Amino acid sequence: MSSRSLFVSIVILLSLAIASNVLYIVKETERGVLLRFGEVVDADLKPGIHVKMPVMHQVRKFDARVLTLDYTPQSYLTQDKKPLIVDSFVKWRIKDVSKFYTATSGDEIAASRLLASRVDDGLRKQFAQRTVHEVISGQRDELMDDLTVKLNQVVLTDIGVELLDIRVKGIELPERVNEDVYKRMRSEREREAREYRSRGRELAEGIRADADRRRTIIEANAYREAEKIRGDGDAQSARIYAEAFSKDPEFYSFVRSLKAYQETFSADSDVMILDSDSDFFKYLGAPKTKQ
Amino acid sequence: MAWNEPGGNNQDPWGGRRGNDGPPDLDEVIKKAMDKMGGLFGSKPPAGGSSSGGFGPIAVIVFIALLIAAVYDSIHIIDQREQAVVLRLGKYHETWGPGLQWKFPLVDSVTKENVTKVQSKSFNNKMLTEDENIVEVTISVQYVISDIKSYVLNVRNPQNSLSQAAESALRHEVGSSEMHFVLTEGRETLASEVQVRIQSYLDAYGTGLTVSKVNLEGAQAPAEVQDAFLDVTKAKEDEVRLRNEAETYANGIIPEARGQAQRQMEEANAYKEQVVAKAVGEADRFNQLLVEYKRAPEVTRERLYIDTIQKVLAETPKVLVDVEGGNNMMYLPLDKIVGNRVTESVAQTGGQSLNASDLDKVTRQVIDELRQRQSSNRRTRELR
Repeated sequence: MSSRSLFVSIVILLSLAIASNVLYIVKETERGVLLRFGEVVDADLKPGIHVKMPVMHQVRKFDARVLTLDYTPQSYLTQDKKPLIVDSFVKWRIKDVSKFYTATSGDEIAASRLLASRVDDGLRKQFAQRTVHEVISGQRDELMDDLTVKLNQVVLTDIGVELLDIRVKGIELPERVNEDVYKRMRSEREREAREYRSRGRELAEGIRADADRRRTIIEANAYREAEKIRGDGDAQSARIYAEAFSKDPEFYSFVRSLKAYQETFSADSDVMILDSDSDFFKYLGAPKTKQ
Repeated sequence: MAWNEPGGNNQDPWGGRRGNDGPPDLDEVIKKAMDKMGGLFGSKPPAGGSSSGGFGPIAVIVFIALLIAAVYDSIHIIDQREQAVVLRLGKYHETWGPGLQWKFPLVDSVTKENVTKVQSKSFNNKMLTEDENIVEVTISVQYVISDIKSYVLNVRNPQNSLSQAAESALRHEVGSSEMHFVLTEGRETLASEVQVRIQSYLDAYGTGLTVSKVNLEGAQAPAEVQDAFLDVTKAKEDEVRLRNEAETYANGIIPEARGQAQRQMEEANAYKEQVVAKAVGEADRFNQLLVEYKRAPEVTRERLYIDTIQKVLAETPKVLVDVEGGNNMMYLPLDKIVGNRVTESVAQTGGQSLNASDLDKVTRQVIDELRQRQSSNRRTRELR
């Protein structure tokens, strides 16, 4: 091995060692501070490659992306003194890098803890000002925006952090209250079901009654018409009889009587007791011409 | 400062050409590298060989291996479905579209993501509604990476942010709706409102995700009250059933009543026709008889009378009483006569009742008896 190639190798190794101490890269997703003997000299390092003095300068890098602080569900009391289990999360980002570094010594977990206690306290106050109904339905946005605005200035000056959003995921009733809700829901459904069934019966009864009424009316009308027709028939026949028989009422009465006799004594059980003086028997005793 | 700023003179430390025109020719690169290596280590070797002892060939082999690894690491194939974010020395440099791409080893870092695939996440949870009921809702959120730069650079764990945004948005919307609305007609509206809300959160965080669709896959009452809800459904069915039954009844009786009415009318009409026809007939008969009667009243009258009486008497058992006035007491077993005739017809098999000949005998006896009395009466009358 020639002395020249050895020299070149040494130069390469040395320059690599120096470069690794002198050069540093700040990624697009990071923020960094440059410290000179612990003192912040550049609080906002841009992404890219930079040069520093070994030993004298130190670089601290932090995640500059939007970070999430996801709480475990907490119990809060509302204005109407009802407990609610609230599950919330916070979106935050390091804004003032040097402040963040000084307040938390760059520890994300420490920052989260600081943030969490403030948000928790803020949420507690917000819930205490509102009723359950307001919290659940109308005022979620309001509640969270209000809190975000209130806290933002504080956390920026205190720990160099920007709050993008505080958001409530779940607002639940405690488990034992849930039971009561289920009971109420159940009773409401029972009421509803009863209503449907009764309405069904009501409708059915109405329909039946209507049908009965229509039947009665149909029958009555039919009776009326039928009687009218019969009466008409009777009247016509009476007129016809009267017309015919008024031509000789006496003869009619005679003929009619004869017919009546014939029809009256038609049964076998009838027994006639006759007087021989009757006109029919005028020849029975004396076959002579009666005078 | 940065010794290889992007957009600079593109001086590649490996001597290859950084090309938009594809990767450099491999042979050429190796040859160049070999030349440089030779120069570096001090000896200009004849082609293909080394005269500088044992170190030369090993260095060359190591170098070639490193080179191949570097080239392999430098070539990126970006699929049609993908995009990639390139950071050069930590700083955002460019976004690659589909095709064969070339990066500087060590200097560039590449993050590839599928940007066309529609990804999906489902959530299922119980939540409170505005009227403080509890519903169980399942949604699925479909989303794509619409801005890969934001997706890669802005947010730590964007997918997680999507989950949080979706859950918050869903609970917010459900919490602002009444249970009935959530369970029934509100589902479409709810889904689109949730979508808008999720998107606004994602935009606020700068996730680079776009929600393409939110489906409200299921909204139902929790299991604890499921049976009560089912009963409501059943009650609705019952309502319809009861109404149908009543209508069946109505449909049964009314046509029947109409039929009956029709029958009554027909019977009445029949009766009318009947009585009128009868009247006409009888009147005609009388009129015709009257004409003949007018011609010979006495004779006709007499004939009709006798005819009728004959007919009547022919069909009826008769008792001729030839008595004068009513002063003679007369006992006739009329009830017997009548009764016998009846029992005869009723109880012919009995044997104890009178038969026809017996009756005739009785009748004859009665008539004889009457005759005797009458004759004696007459005689006494004549004697007087």
